[in-house]
Amino acid sequence: MENRIDAWLILAVVSILGGSLTTLHSVSRVVGSNLWLRQLLWGIVGLLVLWLLSRVRLDVYERLAPLLYGAGLVALLAVLVLGVARGGNRAWIAIGPLTIQPSEFARLATILMAAAWLANREGQNLRIHEVLIAVALVGAPVILIALEPDLGVGLTYLPILVAMLWLGGLPRSVWLILIVLALISANATWRYVLKPYQKERVLTVFQPEHDPYGAGYQVRQSKIAVGSGGVGGQGLGQGSQSQLRFLPAQHTDFAFAVWAEATGFLGTTLLLLAYALLVGRVSNVALTAESRHGLVLAGLIGAWMIFQIIVNLGMVLGWLPTTGVTLPLFSYGGSSLISTCAALGVVQAVWRHRLVNL
Amino acid sequence: MELREDTGPLRRRTIALFLSGFAIFGLLHLRLADLQLVHGVEWRNLAENNRLRRLPLLGSRGWIYDRRGRVLAENKPSWDLLLFPNETEKVDETSVFLATIGVTDVSTFRERLAERRIGRMAPLVIGENLSWNQVAAVRSRQSDYPELTVVSGFRRHYPFGELTSHAIGYLRPVSKTSVEADPSIEPDTMVGATGVEAAEDAFVAGTDGERWVMVSAAGRQLGLVNEVDPKPGRDLGVSLDIDLQRVAAEALGDRSGSVVAIDPRNGAVRVLHSSPTFDPTVFGGRLSRSDWKALQDDPLHPLQNRSLQGVYPPGSTIKPFLALAGLAEGLIDPRTTVFCNGYVVLYGHRFRCWRRGGHGFVDLEASLAESCDVYYYLLGQRLGIDGIARWLRFFGFGERTGLDPVFEARGLIGTPEWSREIRGTPWYPGETVSVSIGQGPLLATVLQIARGYSLLANGGRPITPHLVPQAIGEMTEAIVDGGHLEEVTAALEAVVHGPKGTARRFTAIPMAGKTGTAQVARLQDGVDAEDLAPHLRHHAWFVGWAPLDEPRLVVAAIVEHGGDGGSVAAPVVAEVVKAALGLELNTEGGAQVSPAEELIRQPPANDQNEGIAR
Repeated sequence: MENRIDAWLILAVVSILGGSLTTLHSVSRVVGSNLWLRQLLWGIVGLLVLWLLSRVRLDVYERLAPLLYGAGLVALLAVLVLGVARGGNRAWIAIGPLTIQPSEFARLATILMAAAWLANREGQNLRIHEVLIAVALVGAPVILIALEPDLGVGLTYLPILVAMLWLGGLPRSVWLILIVLALISANATWRYVLKPYQKERVLTVFQPEHDPYGAGYQVRQSKIAVGSGGVGGQGLGQGSQSQLRFLPAQHTDFAFAVWAEATGFLGTTLLLLAYALLVGRVSNVALTAESRHGLVLAGLIGAWMIFQIIVNLGMVLGWLPTTGVTLPLFSYGGSSLISTCAALGVVQAVWRHRLVNL
Repeated sequence: MELREDTGPLRRRTIALFLSGFAIFGLLHLRLADLQLVHGVEWRNLAENNRLRRLPLLGSRGWIYDRRGRVLAENKPSWDLLLFPNETEKVDETSVFLATIGVTDVSTFRERLAERRIGRMAPLVIGENLSWNQVAAVRSRQSDYPELTVVSGFRRHYPFGELTSHAIGYLRPVSKTSVEADPSIEPDTMVGATGVEAAEDAFVAGTDGERWVMVSAAGRQLGLVNEVDPKPGRDLGVSLDIDLQRVAAEALGDRSGSVVAIDPRNGAVRVLHSSPTFDPTVFGGRLSRSDWKALQDDPLHPLQNRSLQGVYPPGSTIKPFLALAGLAEGLIDPRTTVFCNGYVVLYGHRFRCWRRGGHGFVDLEASLAESCDVYYYLLGQRLGIDGIARWLRFFGFGERTGLDPVFEARGLIGTPEWSREIRGTPWYPGETVSVSIGQGPLLATVLQIARGYSLLANGGRPITPHLVPQAIGEMTEAIVDGGHLEEVTAALEAVVHGPKGTARRFTAIPMAGKTGTAQVARLQDGVDAEDLAPHLRHHAWFVGWAPLDEPRLVVAAIVEHGGDGGSVAAPVVAEVVKAALGLELNTEGGAQVSPAEELIRQPPANDQNEGIAR
């Protein structure tokens, strides 16, 4: 059997990981010298996970989906009880020397569950009760994550729901109603849920120079870092924005800004091309899949990754408020890296089994 | 193809989903091109002017007051000069500039710069207590030296200067090891080095804050990013009485020695003076070390706090404790007499009494009042060295009093075990005889002696000396038999008020006490004490309490190599006691009476005049 594994996808993953390690190494004086080594270790583990999961048959994923989904919910419940708090969020479980972020893994379980459910239903469009099922499937883990509270990760579940509704199909009128509902709830969220500092962050998107040393500080420093990269960049470890600590969260949320400052437009174009290649390969898998299940799986995973890339880059480039959404495969973090690799492993399983007749 | 599921609409929607994703990727790429290609140079300029500074805001230390509320330690405002090492580009020019305006010299500047580790955002204090001219000089050249910033800070000031430098202590810059152990400590923080400043550092020290500011390339502040307010430390009242402290210092003069005064009722330390002393503001800063070196190399060791760190042979001041031990063990009876003919022969050696001709028949009272050595040679024989050691430990010798947990010396009670294990030589029986009169391997601090006499003065209750008021604990129980104590205190009153007392010339002062003259070198036959070289002369001791009924103050004084205790050390104690009694009369009789009360108390002037006239 040819094309057991998609070499282009692996190339994209390895390139992005390489960029990530280079970036972490260049700011090791600021964020700590062992972070890039740990990320390297997680990268190797991630690639192993990718390879292992690509060997699992698709029907196994389908049958295991409810079990994994249930396990995910239990883990999210457990983190609320036993979790380790870091910077105000109770989002981690400590197992020996490791701290694991269950919300990163529960997302893949949710996708598997959603795909299994969506592939088995009949008909052109979703019915009302099916919309409610879709909302409940995604809503359950999101509520648990909102209790941690971890806004950034909770937000990454949103594209799963939207993609479910989109792929499942809804009449135009229902979309209109949904958009109106979304606007109303956004208004309610603004009025009753968001804390003042979160409102400030949203406002600075529209008025970047309103409070350059307060709420707008992070975005302003990020834009300065990206912009000062120019055409060819200032060189790795040379950028003043990152080395002098103007940039916040250099290893996580704003890692792309460090890369942009160091490598300039050439580097950012290369990295964006790598992401385009990655998403392109996922879309290729989705479009060549033989089964509805495989297609929906790849589609949902693709939608999630596109969302996370856009929201993170939108934040770094000053178009979206700071929300704590990380850049997949590039931001530092073991749980995020391995869950992303696991999702790509599932995509590879779809690719690998496209010619298999069940 | 019949196996293929119907994925038609799904495929169309999937294509739309991914295409919209790519479209937004394209938009993001355009944004990147706009930021990096079109406006890259502008952002680059902004980045180069972008300077974020972290200014430490030091929390001010609490003030320290004496028992009457007089300020012993305070903060004075000071213009300090900060330098941001990571922004310093032309080190040579900056150092020359600073030397020109007289802030620091080139070598000190370079040392300071080198000792700071790289990569820290903390600024360096490069000048302290700047004059207005210096501030103006820096401000006017701000654009040339953007790495310099003048900030307002604090400087510790001790209004009584040398008078309190041992008791209150002084400040030093925090050590490198503590900064490395706890990164939250500011590298230029001043912490207590000795005395109350060190012991109560956690109480009086403020909590540091910080301020993050954006500055322009010229060093001008553009805006505030974040600020954490510092918290000032708490003020502290100590039990010291600065008036008595001054009297003690003046009485001691420039002779080396120490005076300690304690309230025997509760252990409050009223005087803690050590001479010679030094100017505590020598250590007021983070920069100059030259004066400190001179103090360290001074042969008189002014930095040593003789009250707690100096260990001396207690001489005859130890005798009351041996007398109490003898009474408790039933080895002596107050009325039994010993015949002193000027010496006693023990172990084939002749041990002399300080009085050549001898004291004749001596009972317990006379043994203390006249300080007969022979009486105690014989008592020591009967107690044995282990008995002596056990009883001296019982009275608190050989261990720290608890006033200062770090700097206090333990003193020494020599025993045969100590001799074998520490000294490495066998114990000579003759040493027991020496220890019986407070000589030989027996060393005590002035504070230990003062504590021991507090027990004698307060009815036998052990106290813990303290400068900082303690939470009121339970009154300690008397540990000495009341009858025995009365015998000893009566004898100590006879030291001052008896016809043959060794301090009888102070009989006008209502105090009791004990003289001590501690040998530094063994006197050869035929050599007079006055002929000895100054550094071999005897230490002069006097410990006393006053008033006689219900004593309020115990004063211990030592004059190093001063000679005779009764004529050299006793006058120092007498001065302190006189001042203390006079002061208490003042505050109780005059100052605290309100004018209204005075009017009521005074009889009408006319009546009085008439009365006198009659």
